[in-house]
Amino acid sequence: MNFLDLFDQDLVASVLRSLIPILLAALGGMLAERVGIFNIGLEGMILVGAFAGVAASFFTHNWIVGTLVAMISGALFSLILGYGAVYRKGDPIVLAIAMNILAVGMTSFLIVAVFGVQGVFQDPGIDGIPVWRIPFLADIPWIGALFALTPLGYLALILVPVLWVVLFRTPLGLRLRGVGERPLAAATMGVKPQHYQLGAVIASGALAGLGGAQLALGNVVQFTENMSAGRGWIAVVAVMLARAHPVGVLGAALLFGFADAVGFRLQSFGLPQQLTDAGPYVLTLVVLILVSRRFRKSREAALA
Amino acid sequence: MSVLHRFGRWLAGPIPISVILALLIGACFMLIAGVDPLSGYAAMLNGSFGTGAGLANTLARAIPIIGIGIAIAVAFRAGVLNLGTEGQAGLGALAGGIVAIYVPGPALLIVPLAFIVAIAVGAAWGLIAAVLQNLLGVPILLSTLLLNYPARYFSSWLIRFHLDEPVSDLVASEQVRPEVQLSMLVPRDSGFAETLRNTFGATSPVTAVLTGVNWSLVILILVVLGAIFVNRRTRYGFESGLSGQNAEFVRYGGVKPGPLVLRTMALSGGLAGLFGFMLVIGAPNTRLIEGSFIQTNYAWTALLVTLLALYRPVGIVIAGVFFAAIMVGSDAMGRELGLSPQIAAVIQALVIILLAFRVALPRFRKRAAPVEDGPPFAQPEPLTDPHLAPSAAAVGSAAPAALPTESKESER
Repeated sequence: MNFLDLFDQDLVASVLRSLIPILLAALGGMLAERVGIFNIGLEGMILVGAFAGVAASFFTHNWIVGTLVAMISGALFSLILGYGAVYRKGDPIVLAIAMNILAVGMTSFLIVAVFGVQGVFQDPGIDGIPVWRIPFLADIPWIGALFALTPLGYLALILVPVLWVVLFRTPLGLRLRGVGERPLAAATMGVKPQHYQLGAVIASGALAGLGGAQLALGNVVQFTENMSAGRGWIAVVAVMLARAHPVGVLGAALLFGFADAVGFRLQSFGLPQQLTDAGPYVLTLVVLILVSRRFRKSREAALA
Repeated sequence: MSVLHRFGRWLAGPIPISVILALLIGACFMLIAGVDPLSGYAAMLNGSFGTGAGLANTLARAIPIIGIGIAIAVAFRAGVLNLGTEGQAGLGALAGGIVAIYVPGPALLIVPLAFIVAIAVGAAWGLIAAVLQNLLGVPILLSTLLLNYPARYFSSWLIRFHLDEPVSDLVASEQVRPEVQLSMLVPRDSGFAETLRNTFGATSPVTAVLTGVNWSLVILILVVLGAIFVNRRTRYGFESGLSGQNAEFVRYGGVKPGPLVLRTMALSGGLAGLFGFMLVIGAPNTRLIEGSFIQTNYAWTALLVTLLALYRPVGIVIAGVFFAAIMVGSDAMGRELGLSPQIAAVIQALVIILLAFRVALPRFRKRAAPVEDGPPFAQPEPLTDPHLAPSAAAVGSAAPAALPTESKESER
């Protein structure tokens, strides 16, 4: 096998596959970051979305219901962070760490309690999210994969420019950013910072929940214990790398998707799975190091 | 103020109320699973404390949790968020385990060498994050976390492809030689164990604990005492406590933050490596087993314990035993009632979340304000301000080294 075989048309499709759950979650994390709440609970929110989506799809045999339930569950779950950090002045990091552990425990417990299986729940009754192929466009070499995505895939990609416009070109975006950067100033303008913060956290939970739906109903049709497997953390890093900018978030998520897809392919070159699995995290770390000069300003504060 | 009064006020405070609420929500989960919560909790209590073996199991489980909790607390106290103890402990265990299993020689030389290697590797893995932050400003929160994954996959790969021995069904290395192992406090086949069995009975708690917990308990006790001593009596403990509280102030005081972060991460990673390693050479688990460290979830449980205890060593011991009991009890409940033992993680995480919500019975808050000798509980406190520790108002009179440790967690 030739090294260049790594890069063929199918790679685009597999990059997109890895990318979309991360992108959805990272866009959510970006919204929370913009209102000044560091959301490292994305990992748990993805997992809750994935579980709820699979459960709902299994009981209703309908992927739309599954997806909606995933979104709502993610949003409800994020209320823990929203309520705790905004109204109880709890530490967002403490809350989010506990949420991530809660999500793993809760879903692993419920998979046994509700479905009576351990580890993996797979069933023909689960209705997966279909791929919507756009005729002709999907047949274009290389970029065709962009036109054969699940609805959530299209949603994720469309959200990048949409959120850019919302954040930087609308009054709502101005308020969101104002709340994050100068909460007092925003409050003097008659904006209630707490409402915007809560709203942004709920939105981030909803988006992460959709990321979970894509993971469990789009990429595969099953729920696996702890199936988010660090993707939420990668999304957190993506938000930081991108300085909470939508386009940057896309870039960072793309990087991870690429590492993931290439890593998977390298297995066919005989590299053990354990080593290629580490790839995305190592690459993320390397990029974090490369761009970290941008963090230098905050270095003083970080060096507590 | 009477002790009873104080205890009553503590009972109405955030920690007990959070625990009770978490247990109630846990009961709801059991109801979903179709199990009577009372019998569930009875099974849990019986499994963790009810029998001698259960008690021994709880203590054995508490040792790594408390140890790694201390490692995390060392860092948190200095305002350094070390989320990478999983990797540090895992690699320490791997390196120390390899020395213990494969390096030939007398136990007298091999055991100390393996300990040193384990601590050094854990410390080195922690130092990577410190160096990255000092030189390049990479946030430690993220670097430590990301470093867990290569550590995890590398150990997994090494054990699966290079160390795996077909002696057991597990993907695991061969066993540590008996003379290198950390034995039980009282080895089961020794004469003293026989005496214990005859005096107290074979299943009594005393016998079970002494013959079912290994020597890492003693090391843990030394580490906890050491942590208390360092916090209270040494210059490093003073500086790190202050810098966790107010980095700016410490800098004016002439402490260089960079070296402090280096020392802190080395110490934290080294401790994590030490306790990870003792899981490998401590009877009864004496192999390098693929994924063992991740599946038991010690690092994350330890993190919750540290958060619950607000970084104070004694608190970590209490919270560690409590959380270990929940884990052991949930395992027992799982076996008895066919449930997932993950209910332990649910209850543990809920305690922390509810604590962050600062739930407490309100009537005790109103009246506390005029009290002079006690901490002003009436004031809303940040979560990171220990509810049990001397409050900020008491700082002026307290010995400087016993300052409450308030973390700077929101800073990045």
